[in-house]
Amino acid sequence: MSDEALLAGMAAGDADAMAAFVRRHQGRVYGLALSVVGVPAIAEEVAQEAFVRAWRHAGNYDARKAQASTWLLTITRNVAIDVLRVRRELAVEPAVVAEMLISPTNDSDRVADSERITAALRALPREQAMAVLLSVHFGLTAREISEKEQIPLGTAKTRIRTGLSRLRAMLEVSHG
Amino acid sequence: MVDPTRCGDVADALAEVATGAASGPDRARVLAHLADCPDCRRELEELTRVADEVLLVAPEHDPPAGFEGAVLARIAALTAEPGAPAVPAAPPPPPAESEPDPVVTALRPRRWQRVLPYAAAAAVAGLVGAGLVWQATSEERDVAASYRETLDVANGRYFHAAPIVDDGGTQVGHVFLYQGEPSWVFTVLDDTVDPGAYEVVVTTEDWSEPVAELEVDGSGGGAGATVDADIYQIERVELVGAGGATFTADLSGDSPP
Ligand SMILES: [Zn+2]
Repeated sequence: MSDEALLAGMAAGDADAMAAFVRRHQGRVYGLALSVVGVPAIAEEVAQEAFVRAWRHAGNYDARKAQASTWLLTITRNVAIDVLRVRRELAVEPAVVAEMLISPTNDSDRVADSERITAALRALPREQAMAVLLSVHFGLTAREISEKEQIPLGTAKTRIRTGLSRLRAMLEVSHG
Repeated sequence: MVDPTRCGDVADALAEVATGAASGPDRARVLAHLADCPDCRRELEELTRVADEVLLVAPEHDPPAGFEGAVLARIAALTAEPGAPAVPAAPPPPPAESEPDPVVTALRPRRWQRVLPYAAAAAVAGLVGAGLVWQATSEERDVAASYRETLDVANGRYFHAAPIVDDGGTQVGHVFLYQGEPSWVFTVLDDTVDPGAYEVVVTTEDWSEPVAELEVDGSGGGAGATVDADIYQIERVELVGAGGATFTADLSGDSPP
């Protein structure tokens, strides 16, 4: 059954559809949560909450705007970042994690649909890729990135914006 | 808004709205600009899509045993009506590929919308209200949809939308409320109202204050502001025109039963 059909079922209150949806996506959701918060017990809480929100908002999912997996991952990231904002002691070294996320040594664990974006991130100047990952993945603001990387605020802002724009250009090209 | 924000002034903040990291005030500023800039709305949509794809780089990782059951238990708890029997009489489930959890079977016949706790109910009410608002015209719906997407993407906390009406009950715009740190209110008036300045006045149980000024030109206008309140505390948002016209969005009717 497609993700769209499962989400439609969830929107109608069908818990079996929910169960199937959880089984299909739990590794991905938990993996993302763990990469952001770093602590398994907290990552599990985050992942659970993400699925609860997906259940609540299933009727709001629009297949024309995003793939179901991407939609679910944005929800997961949002929950994880909410947790990080309260518990600053987590994610001690987001820059190190960000490096790992696009490091070739991780390629064996990589999910097939991430190859395109991984290649594009590697093709960016390293500091732009880092700024984008810190912003997207960890929800760090330009100000926080400028403090962590010890660069001027304007530089941090430019890295995020330029990095995203270049990624867009690369992804458009690879779409053919 | 004497000097409307130009695209270049919001470009950096727009990128941070796309990644989800923008602060509340930055987000409000960007949304205010998006109200009358289709180019930036399209830009935000594209950058958001790119930013979301970045999330795919995280490796998969199996959660601890029992994860699926824990999620389903939470949903069952969420769906259970207070005081209702734990397992109501339910028709037997149709054959499934795997044996359904009894708790899951029990909740199938229920309509979950009726029984959510308040925070979720507010989000649902917001969506329902927004759905009504968006039936106005396709152009308005597109504008509203772009806000909705921004809101969804920006933080994932619940939000609320309601129509703004004139004395006669005719819809002249809409209000969006967003729960966050800080919360904010965003109002849009369409091109049927008289041009000029409108004061945005927010009323809660405890206070009533102007929070922003909205400048309407021939094509309508929008303005937003952060507010020191949870959105469920807001009872009313009024737009008071210099010429005396007042438009109102009544939010008190959306309180939980
Ligand atoms: Zn613009």
